[in-house]
Amino acid sequence: MDERLEKALEFSNYMVTLNNQKRLLKEKYYEDLLYFENGCQFTITKELITFVGTMLSSGNDANIVLIDDNDTPTSITDLAKFYEDILDVYFSASNEYNTKYNELKKKRSIEKLVDIDE
Amino acid sequence: MSKGAILIARNNGNIDYVKQSVFLAKRIQHYLEIPVSIITDSEEYLKLNFDYTVFDQIISIPYNETANTRAYNDGTLFYKTADFKNDIRHEVYNLTPYNETLLLDTDYIIANDLLSSCFNSNNDLMLFKSSEDVAKVRNEKEFDYVSDYSIEFYWATVVFFRKTQQNEIFFDLISHIYKNWKHYTRIYQIDSPLFRNDFAFSIAIHIMNGFQKGNFAQPLPGKHLYTTDRDILWNLKDDKMLFLVEKKNYLGEYTAIKTIGQNIHVMNKFSLEREIDRVNNE
Repeated sequence: MDERLEKALEFSNYMVTLNNQKRLLKEKYYEDLLYFENGCQFTITKELITFVGTMLSSGNDANIVLIDDNDTPTSITDLAKFYEDILDVYFSASNEYNTKYNELKKKRSIEKLVDIDE
Repeated sequence: MSKGAILIARNNGNIDYVKQSVFLAKRIQHYLEIPVSIITDSEEYLKLNFDYTVFDQIISIPYNETANTRAYNDGTLFYKTADFKNDIRHEVYNLTPYNETLLLDTDYIIANDLLSSCFNSNNDLMLFKSSEDVAKVRNEKEFDYVSDYSIEFYWATVVFFRKTQQNEIFFDLISHIYKNWKHYTRIYQIDSPLFRNDFAFSIAIHIMNGFQKGNFAQPLPGKHLYTTDRDILWNLKDDKMLFLVEKKNYLGEYTAIKTIGQNIHVMNKFSLEREIDRVNNE
């Protein structure tokens, strides 16, 4: 095989593996962003954080109704604690995502991407 | 309120579901910290060959032959045809000893604690609706709808349910669908005559919702990640899994994919059993 083509195919395989690992890492991040309160599931988004922050800054901190991922309403009795918890989960998940993503970027071979040489 | 997981193991001569159940039960106890019971037609085999104390209860059912057979792949180049005994799932409602039950396929490999949130959920029935092929090289449309002009698809691989009057009606309805499967394949435009629990559960949810989309069943947390039996589980260590997934248009070639801390439905049961043997011999 032409050496140029061989190198291109090798790189192509590397890119397929890299993109697969990035995709799975993103799925893991989405799972890590889930937060459960009152039997309801909330995916923590920047929108949710902003809304809860706005409620708190306008003095509304108790018995606030939020709508969960399944469109089920629930009353949050202690909004300040809820806010603290979702921020904690959000930053913990995002930091983990960032760390793992940067680790992936540094791996320059398929073997390293899937840790075969570990 | 009692809670626990239920696994169904009915061996077919080629696939050892009992072995898979023992392996999965240990992982469920580790990650979800709940008791696990097994429904099996091979109680003696279980007790003679495995550490059966891993199970909270062994629920014995009679051994039956089946006319249902299907091909089981082991990667892209090899397959075996074997019995497909999938006609007991709708009876789990009556067989489970728990008020809150997490029913799992034995090839759904638990690697995190996400499903433990089900037991605190307000929802009495939860199944996966959205899914993702780990390989991402195959048509995933078949898992969006039961058929091109039919209803939404739900996975029966993992089912969380509470003992409620509505869920009793739901499981009785699945029994009815099973007994009248030919009729329902015509109504819901299902091409294959093979009974599939995914389809039966999807049809039952559609009926319980008043023959329309609805929220009778809610989605389980996260996504249903799966590898098909054309992929190979190459290595499994703690929460890490290494797969060789089918490479599109290159028969017999694979791409390596690693997962960490993600629950995966490993449909290649042969490669799963090889890994279980390897892990057990370590």
